[in-house]
Order: sequence, then C-alpha cells, then structure tokens
Amino acid sequence: MKLKFNHVDFYYGDKAPNLFEALNDIDCEIKEKSFTCIVGHTGCGKSTFIQQLNGLLIPTKGSVFAGDFVVSSNKKERTKKLRPLRQKVGIVFQFSEYQLFENSVEEDVAFGPTNFGVKKEDALKLAHENLLKVGIDESFFKKSPFELSGGERRRVAIAGIMAMQPEVIVLDEPTVGLDPRGVKEMMTLFKELHDNGTTIIVVTHDMNLVYGYATDVIVMDHGKIVYQGTPNELFDKSVDEYSLETPLMTHLIQELKQKGYKFDLQQIKSLDDIVDVIAKQKGGAKNE
Amino acid sequence: MSSITLGRYTPRDTFIHRLDPRIKILSLILLMVAIFISYSTWEMTFIIGGILLVFIFLLAAISKTSFKSLFKSLRAMWFLIIFLLLINILVKPRNAVNIAFSIGSLDIYWESIFQSLKIILRLFLMITLTMILTTSTKPLDLTYALEWFMKPLKLIRFPTHEVAMTISIALRFIPTLLIEVERIMKAQTSRGVDFKHGKISSRFKAIISLIVPLFISSFQRAEELADSMEARGYNPKAKRTTYHKLHFAWNDLFALLLCTIFMAATIVFSAMDFTIKTPLFVPWLIIGICGVLFYLFGIGAENARRHKK
Ligand SMILES: Nc1ncnc2c1ncn2[C@@H]1O[C@H](COP(=O)(O)OP(=O)(O)OP(=O)(O)O)[C@@H](O)[C@H]1O
Ligand SMILES: [Mg+2]
Repeated sequence: MKLKFNHVDFYYGDKAPNLFEALNDIDCEIKEKSFTCIVGHTGCGKSTFIQQLNGLLIPTKGSVFAGDFVVSSNKKERTKKLRPLRQKVGIVFQFSEYQLFENSVEEDVAFGPTNFGVKKEDALKLAHENLLKVGIDESFFKKSPFELSGGERRRVAIAGIMAMQPEVIVLDEPTVGLDPRGVKEMMTLFKELHDNGTTIIVVTHDMNLVYGYATDVIVMDHGKIVYQGTPNELFDKSVDEYSLETPLMTHLIQELKQKGYKFDLQQIKSLDDIVDVIAKQKGGAKNE
Repeated sequence: MSSITLGRYTPRDTFIHRLDPRIKILSLILLMVAIFISYSTWEMTFIIGGILLVFIFLLAAISKTSFKSLFKSLRAMWFLIIFLLLINILVKPRNAVNIAFSIGSLDIYWESIFQSLKIILRLFLMITLTMILTTSTKPLDLTYALEWFMKPLKLIRFPTHEVAMTISIALRFIPTLLIEVERIMKAQTSRGVDFKHGKISSRFKAIISLIVPLFISSFQRAEELADSMEARGYNPKAKRTTYHKLHFAWNDLFALLLCTIFMAATIVFSAMDFTIKTPLFVPWLIIGICGVLFYLFGIGAENARRHKK
C-alpha cells in the first residue's frame, strides 16, 4: 500500500492562543514494502505525522492518500468510511502498554481482528500465532494483561496490531524501555515482517536502529520534513546538519576507512558484516 | 472532545481575569440570587431577565469568553429544554388562564410557555456565569478562594486544607485525564473500535475498552503522586504559605459593589412589587442601566489602557 502526503498542514486547536502548527507543508511518499524510520527531536511532530496515516487526525490542509483511501481536509474528497483503513494501516502507539483491557492476554490480542469481522475462533488462532512471534509463550495466554511487566505488555500490544494483519504497521518508539536483547528481538521481528512484504514505519530516536534496519529515513524538524532518503546518505554527510547522533557503526567504519579499509555501505548492516570485510581485505580466511 | 472542555480556563489579561477569585465567587453568588428572584408579573420577569442577559453577555465579552462555546452549552441542553416544555405543557400551571393555542383537545397556555422560557433563561444565565468564572480563573486560584471561604470551619476542626488540596488535585488532573481519554480512544480506534456508531452491544464494549485502561492508569497515577508527595515530605498538618498571595484591590471593590447593587435592586423590585406601571419605575430603570453601562465602559477603557502598557 502506497502512502502519499500531498502538502499536508495540521494544526492543533482552532483559535489563536491554543493554535499550534504541528505539521507544516508535509509532502512526501512512503514506498510500498519499505522499512521507513522517522527521526527527529522531541516535539517535532512525529506522532502527529503517523496519526494522519490512518485517519485518526484529519489534515487541516492538504490530503493523505493511503492506497485507495483519501484522507483529505476537503470533506467531499475524503473517503466516507475510514474504519477499513485502520485495518490496513495498524498503528502501535507510544505507551501502547496502557491500552490493554481484556480479561486475558489472548482475548486482548483477538480484540482487533474481531472488530474487523474475523470469527472468534479464527481471531484466537491469529492471537496465538502473533503472541508466539513477539515472544510471549503459551503460559501467558490465559493470564490477565495487568499481571505482565511493562515490556511484556508492550509485546502484547504489538501482537494486538499484528493480529489484524495490516499491510502497513506503524510503530511509535516501540523499543523505548526494552533491554538490549529485547530491542534486538523486536527489531528482528519487524525485519521479518518487512521481509514478508509488510510496510514497516518506525518512529525512533536510536540512530543505530536506523542504520541497521531502515531502507528509508525521514528526518523531521519543527513540523517539516527536512530530509528524506536512504540512511547511508544521511549518515554519510548530513548528520551534523540536523544535529542527530551518528550511529556507532558509522563511527567505526570511518575509523577503519582511515586505516585503509574499503567498505560498500550497502552491504554493511551489522558488526559481523564489518568483520567479514576486514577478514577478506586482510586476505585471511573467512571469519569464524 | 471540545464539548467536554467547555469552560476551560483560557489565559488572558482582562479586567475579569485580574479580579480576585474570592470576589469572583462572591459576585457569582450575588448574581445567582439576582437571577433566581421571582416577580409577580411575567413582564417584570422577562424585563429583568433581559437586563441580566445583556449584563452577563457584556461580562462574557469583557472576559473574552467565546460566545460560540456559550451557545454550544445551550445546544447541549436541548434535551432538557424539550423535556421542560413538555412537562410544563402537560402539567397545567396553577393560575393558567390565557390559552395560546390548542392542539386537538389539548390547550396550551401562555403561562406554560412563559414558565419554560423562564427556567431555560435562568439555566442559561447560570451556566454562562459559571463559564465566565471558570474560563477567567485558574482552577488553582479557585481552590485558594474556596479554602479562604472555608477558614471559619477550621474552628470546628474541619480539615479545610486537605479538602482544598483534594479539590485542587482533582481539578489539576481533569485536563490530564482528558488527554488520556483521547490517547486511549485513538489507540482503540486503531484497533477497530467505533466509538460513534454501532450496535448497543459493540458500543458497550467500546466504552469498556476505554474505561478499564483509564481506571488502571488513574490509579497508577494517584499512587505515584501520593508516593512522590510523601517522598518530598508533604505534611498536611503543616502550616503553609502560597506562592501567589491573594489580595483585594480597588477593582475588586468596584466589582463587588456593582454585583451587590444588582442583587439589591432585583430584591427591591421583587419585594415592592414593582411593575412597569409603577410611577418612576421606568426612569429609575434607565438611570440604573446607564450607570451599569458607564461602569462597563470604564472597565473597557481600563483594559485598553493596560493593553497599551
Ligand atoms: N493534543 C494536542 N494539543 C495541542 N498540541 C499538541 C497535541 N499533541 C501534540 N501537540 C504539540 O504538537 C507538537 C508535536 O507533537 P508530537 O506528539 O507529534 O511530537 P513527537 O515528535 O511525537 O515527540 P516525541 O518524540 O516526544 O514523541 C508538540 O510540540 C506538542 O506540544
Ligand atoms: Mg511522539
């Protein structure tokens, strides 16, 4: 599903003292089946941006096109029923751990699919599948969601969106507060979903994740898009311009380049890749 | 969403915003008395009602309360209005004699219509006044004022400070809760919940999906707040001072005086059974209105002067 923003402005509040211009002339396209990361400083409008994607917020000016759906400031052009769009574009919110309410974990995950007309048994089946994917095993299925830890609840919330089988999954800072292994597990999961053809959009502050997983990156500042392109280009030259953190990998590669090694940035996503390259260029055997 | 936030404090710098909150509460009470005084004839009821309406609208204009939100509150009352009309039409008022018109065998009296109009007018005036108070006064200032009014109760060991603290915390958390409601509604909407349409059963489920997380997070928040207050050594029994000291000024005196005169005038009109035909009623009324207008222009001028500064 292609997502396209056509000169979108969004204001919070409607009168002068409360009016706040949260998005300013957003004009961009998020490619189908891409893994797009959205970065930018706190309060720059990332969460506002993603809420335009499934019609939770309606643009004040301009339109958003999501597949066949049109979310436009103009009532006449807007798609009448936006609910089906919410099945196609699933959003996992910041602090998603606070949205659970059912008696058991499995029922909570099944809640989304049943809302979109999946039969109860099928929904439970979907719930089980997706809970296992996010690393919640059978022993948790019948537990109350309120007995889980924060990180576990987050995983359940993510499973709740995945169970709706959306074409686009949007995650707002999904890895905040997880331990390093949890972060890796989650990101690997999103990568798997991406490999299976789902468009993934992740809002994050962690440039290392952007480096390791994203195919596209959008940098926002004060409600505007200031950069859109590939992570490699971004980290190669213009990081300082947007006062973003440089990923550790970029640092490492730059140091190694000075020592005379050569890298094809397209190929290098993790530490293992670097080790491979070094091993190759030293003429030694392949890394063990 | 915005319908819930009706009457929320909007920071502005107007004469009414600057009044002492205690004076504002007192004035509110005085004007409420004026609103609820009844007169022997319908003409008087509506003349005085009309004057009060104009006066209160002027106050709303001075305090820059949005008229749109005032009428929104009226729109929110439509159910009540219809209900009142029906009750008053079906239950014949005691001294009803003038038939306005009849539907079939049902006679509809002017008195029924007037009676409902009177109640609606009073309700509307009351709501408008309260909205002027709440949009022009910080919730925290209101609680300080309430605490001040409760001071005498300290003599009988009434925990005034604790009550005021509880009220101020409750007021403080209303916007936070509204934000929370919005957040949870968005999250559940993304999971396919439809809060606006649907069958009763699915609506019920929708409400549950909102209420449960809301309760959980509220309790969590309450607990955290209590802990953090304790961690900082909060002691409800301790004597405390406030950051902003309340003090009366000349404009407070003026406002109080004006409202007192208003109330006194209505009481006099009612008690002495004034009617339009009473000698000198009209001249006095005109002089009174001119006085009030003069006063309000004074306020406007003062506002303009302050603005320039
Ligand atoms: N409901 C609202 N009403 C008014 N202003 C809002 C509202 N929600 C957000 N804003 C404002 O809009 C701006 C963008 O908010 P947004 O939540 O999109 O930021 P963000 O980029 O997601 O930040 P973070 O990284 O902290 O999550 C902020 O300055 C915020 O103050
Ligand atoms: Mg955000």
